[in-house]
Amino acid sequence: MVTRAIKNEVTRRRFLKRGLLGGFLLATAGGLGLGLWPTRQDANPRRALKLLDERGFAILAAIAARTVRVPGADPIEIAHRVDETLSLGVPEARKDFTQLLLLFENALAGFVFDGRAKPFTRLSPEAQDAVLLSWRNSRVALRRGGYHALRKLTLAAHWSNPDHWAAVGYPGPPQIGRPT
Amino acid sequence: MKTNGFFDANEWRKPVEKYDVCIIGSGAGGAVVAAQLVAAGFSVIILEEGGHHTKAEFKMREDTAFPMLYQEAGTRATKDLGISILQGRAVGGTTVVNWTTSFRTPQSVLDHWRVVHGVGGFTKADLDPHWAAVEERLNIKQIPLEETNRNNRTLYDGCKALGLAVETTFRNTRNCFKSGYCGMGCPVDAKQSMLVTYLPDAVQKGAVVLSRCRVDRLIIEAGRVARAECRLLREDGYGESGRALTIEANRFILSAGAIGTPAVLIRSGLGEGFVGKRTFLHPVVGTAAIFKDPIEPYYGAPQSVCSHALADRGENVGLFLEAAPLHPMMASLATSGFGDEHHARMIKLPFTSAHIALAIDGFHPSEVGGTVEVRASGAPLLDYPLPPRIWDALREGLKTLIRIDLAAGAQEVYTPHDPPFVFKSEKDLARLDEAPMALNRVSVYSAHVMGGAKMGDDPKQSVVRSSDLRHHTVANLHVVDGSVFPTSLGVNPQESIYGLAHLMGARFAQDWKTG
Repeated sequence: MVTRAIKNEVTRRRFLKRGLLGGFLLATAGGLGLGLWPTRQDANPRRALKLLDERGFAILAAIAARTVRVPGADPIEIAHRVDETLSLGVPEARKDFTQLLLLFENALAGFVFDGRAKPFTRLSPEAQDAVLLSWRNSRVALRRGGYHALRKLTLAAHWSNPDHWAAVGYPGPPQIGRPT
Repeated sequence: MKTNGFFDANEWRKPVEKYDVCIIGSGAGGAVVAAQLVAAGFSVIILEEGGHHTKAEFKMREDTAFPMLYQEAGTRATKDLGISILQGRAVGGTTVVNWTTSFRTPQSVLDHWRVVHGVGGFTKADLDPHWAAVEERLNIKQIPLEETNRNNRTLYDGCKALGLAVETTFRNTRNCFKSGYCGMGCPVDAKQSMLVTYLPDAVQKGAVVLSRCRVDRLIIEAGRVARAECRLLREDGYGESGRALTIEANRFILSAGAIGTPAVLIRSGLGEGFVGKRTFLHPVVGTAAIFKDPIEPYYGAPQSVCSHALADRGENVGLFLEAAPLHPMMASLATSGFGDEHHARMIKLPFTSAHIALAIDGFHPSEVGGTVEVRASGAPLLDYPLPPRIWDALREGLKTLIRIDLAAGAQEVYTPHDPPFVFKSEKDLARLDEAPMALNRVSVYSAHVMGGAKMGDDPKQSVVRSSDLRHHTVANLHVVDGSVFPTSLGVNPQESIYGLAHLMGARFAQDWKTG
């Protein structure tokens, strides 16, 4: 019922006025205990980060570990590549994405929307998948949009990497020869 | 520093105080009009936000091509994240990364513009010789059916089996190697993009092209543009280098594309009326069809077959059908879901055909399209919530594509829903009537951005007049790009922009010489 009340109260336009996800944060991240539960930071960067801080990086790597379930997948490398791509984005988009990661992680928001009481990074793999599914199937269009942003950025970071092409039978670009 | 007239703006030293013409944007509009103007003896400078990249850098890799050649590193999307927008950003604009499909503007569209939007400044007969000239320069020719790849051939075969009109596309290529990598920059300069045609033509006759030069705003004084204020970009092509540049000219031409042009107008205090309004996208949905035999959707001319059988659906939104190439990154985006579910489909990539339905938006009075806004940082943002009648059209498009795929022999066909609907025979196609067609439940794309500074002869209903695309109130400002289109087109836009730019370039050359 709490979620329905929030959904009804906060219209799409109000969300947008406050920035992509600012409305969610204002509505949910009120400094309460659940919202402050720390992120599990066991995904350490291998090189300098361009946009994210270490907490955001750890959240992103945890998401990548669930979205890209492929032999040889490397969530740390995926998180680096997403970080590097997003660092080229416009300032507002960069900010929206870092807020999206915090919201995705946030235990209070998770409690309100999904009934979970732990940060995303502290959930079991199965529970993490349930969170992704909850965002995918949400009645709130911006949560679905957030799911797709996380899904697409992590998948694209993995599959654009030539190291993984062979796994889907893609032989790579042809040799440039004489025009035919 | 690039030589021969192509300069990185950071390393360029202004040799003259004032140019005859300053063109903002080096894509389909700006390049063509620049070549016309320098040939007529005008001094021309072209300002381009993107970098100057050439074939040696086109490595046929998505991870380097998208940050280098696409707006927002390939992540551009509408405000509610509902539509991903593939739009180029480089010297040569989107022509560097498009899939070469070239069609003249349909007569029915020109008629609609004249009758409904008061576009009286030119006729098809005026455009015909200019299209012919562009087709000659860019070697635009219809591709023979036997040269199409399997991804396109399945579209052709399926349309034929269903009795739907279908043809091969016209392409702007010369000695095409049909590698399949048009979208990452042509590695052999076969694609006759602006990068290798009209821009070198213009530069050879004295035009200057400045890359990594972001036009912040135009300064208007006494009803005229006095100068363009620019910020220069770093080596990565995105961050600002801290350097600025001011360009003075007698005339200014905005050719920054249908999102960039309205943004410059808004930042310049010219955002009133229809500026940034009526942006159209040909919103796209696609199917992924799995075949028994290999398709290899990553090789061969990426878009060589199309059907306009559904272009006229009476009161309903029209559609046209084409194919799209799939390389691993794009395939991963087009594949729904995540984790094991996603991977189970990814491994079918070599056997997958990707076909798309594009909605022809902007023709019904209720279809007002999207709105371009400018964010606090100055960057543009397009808001385009799709109305129900476009969702209905996209559903019809999916239904038709599924029938085509199955008729072509597909074993199963996936919709772009998340989770996808899967069809193995036509008999359960009615399930699609229940499928949710809604924001962020279906992946929607666009590669065609049009409108936002519409032309017309009533200043209350348009931004520029149609006879010479001059701004209604700023005397020395013109707009020459896809943003002047009052609606979408129903065909891929590049040749419509080329033809109009070529006509206008000829008119400018004549009028400005004598004026």
